Amino acid sequence: MAHTCPVDLDTLRLRAEIESIYRRVATEPSGDFHFHRGPTYAAEMLDYDAGALARLPADSTASFAGVANPHRIAPMTAGATVVDIGCGAGMDLMLAAEAVGPGGRAIGVDMTEAMAGRARTAAKSRGLDNVEVRLGDAMSLPVDSESVDVVISNGVLNLTPDKEQAFGEVFRILKPGGQFLYGDIVVATELSESIRRNIDLWTG
Amino acid sequence: MLLGHLGFDEVDVKERFDCFRGTSKEGVARKYGVVGVNVYARKPLSTVR
Repeated sequence: MAHTCPVDLDTLRLRAEIESIYRRVATEPSGDFHFHRGPTYAAEMLDYDAGALARLPADSTASFAGVANPHRIAPMTAGATVVDIGCGAGMDLMLAAEAVGPGGRAIGVDMTEAMAGRARTAAKSRGLDNVEVRLGDAMSLPVDSESVDVVISNGVLNLTPDKEQAFGEVFRILKPGGQFLYGDIVVATELSESIRRNIDLWTG
Repeated sequence: MLLGHLGFDEVDVKERFDCFRGTSKEGVARKYGVVGVNVYARKPLSTVR
């Protein structure tokens, strides 16, 4: 199975396309996209707790565009340090912050300033002092080695051009014994080179 | 699986979601078997890679 993008894929263009799409998800979440967004989708199709989502700022949950539900994989213990790779507008990040409590930390990383700003504003609005949002890239996480107990991610790492590098970064920042609660899309069939070279299919 | 190759233990697909149902890409997702998944993995206590 392929773990890296085709050699002639324009990764700079791919990054620009991803930034453009998710900037738009941050600012116009009700716009026309090829993927679902929002808290109703999260509750009805991904089994999020609708009550918990209703307590979060709507500006954050409206821009949720995950594809799975890391919170159902394993419980996060009080006091843990969690990193959310590609935290977007902060919905999963705030749920993690609430799970680990005031003695824990939830660090969000996102490459899109518009999303990172939304996440910071939402966490402040929710009164979550244990949330920090850093601008950064999954391929080179702005997080110290072996410093976190749990890494979560939801629908983000499939967009990286080199999965081995991205997952290697997860491995690097986790403490020994740390947990990776990973939500993403998978493809059941091996894709042809022409499909893997098509940026429109990478990004939508 | 790549996660195991990188040294993760206990790699397990826990759950699947039909996350493209009702979107404009539903047909493409069906054609290629694209679904959302929840995956668990743990970094070993001893990490000799």
